[in-house]
Amino acid sequence: MKKLFTILALVASVVAIIFSVLPISNLAIFPAIAALIFGLIAFYLSKKSGNVKKIIQFTFLLTIMALSITIYKALFTKTEVANTETLEATETKLEEEAIEELEELEFDDIEIEDELENISVDE
Amino acid sequence: MQRIHLLLTFLITLTTHAQNNAFISGEKLVYTASYNMSGILTDIAQVTMETSEVKTSKATLLRLKCTATTYSKWDNFFKIRDLYESYVNPKNLTPYIYNRDINEGSYYKNMKYTFSHKTNTVKSIQKKKNNKIENKTVNISAGTKDIVSTMYNIRLFDFANMVKGTTKTFVIIFDRREINGQITFLGKETISTAIGQKECYKLAIGSSEPDVLQGKNSNFLWLTADANKIPVYGKFKIPVGNGELKIKSVSGLKN
Repeated sequence: MKKLFTILALVASVVAIIFSVLPISNLAIFPAIAALIFGLIAFYLSKKSGNVKKIIQFTFLLTIMALSITIYKALFTKTEVANTETLEATETKLEEEAIEELEELEFDDIEIEDELENISVDE
Repeated sequence: MQRIHLLLTFLITLTTHAQNNAFISGEKLVYTASYNMSGILTDIAQVTMETSEVKTSKATLLRLKCTATTYSKWDNFFKIRDLYESYVNPKNLTPYIYNRDINEGSYYKNMKYTFSHKTNTVKSIQKKKNNKIENKTVNISAGTKDIVSTMYNIRLFDFANMVKGTTKTFVIIFDRREINGQITFLGKETISTAIGQKECYKLAIGSSEPDVLQGKNSNFLWLTADANKIPVYGKFKIPVGNGELKIKSVSGLKN
């Protein structure tokens, strides 16, 4: 049982560290909480048997690191959009192409509406 | 004279049927697309919906443009630069040309539709990364619209006089296939948004395609219960958690 919780705590803390360095750092909070719970259970069971292994303290260290990175990123990382030059160029290119093609199309409904306006003005 | 009168009556009936009183050219709506897992939000991309005027020698059209851009923190992992645009009749939003240019990671696709409403056909050109061009003409039903003009068209519905539970259906052409979509009016709800506390029309969005939107009545859209009918919040079910679309800023409103 002690071994199982130690392994679970270690796995959860590693997942928390991985999540914290990725853009999904906010989600690191879930494995971090799991790592703390499993770590505490493992610690309690180890203390009962009188043999606390260093690996459990290591999982706590990893979890604290993951939480620190997550909190830092949540507070200081700006959510901003960058490198949109290509998209802007595509927008301009597609608009120019569309206008060229629209010149060749016939808009029956719009033309009729224009005629309608003309008739109203005449009357 | 009698013929003109008849024509006038017919046209007035047509134009008043779907009058655009909700938006004008120059409107810009900016959204944040996020992933929500048990209340923990992760911002993924910025979505912008913009309208502008396009003049040709024959007519003045409305350009409806939607872009999706991942935030810079995501760019090194999965960069998205998507553009969807539609050139429509400013009064009834009938589309003439539709463009979809998607850049997602290493995937690229461009799809262009040219609508012919006389023959009820769409001429499509698909371009992919390896310069593979595919032309195809697709038959469509009368009233079929592209995804962008459909999104704007939802804002033209008269929700103020709609009974709770009313369902409206529409046909969208997407990936050269017609998809049946529907919205159900669920009533009014007041929600808190970045542009203030807003009374909204709550709509459930559904589709005939099971791959497009997951689950029944699990995708919702909130439109402000005013003349502008701005989509301020969207909630979409995904396999784990929810996808959310939240308004960030608005400008150039009609009313």
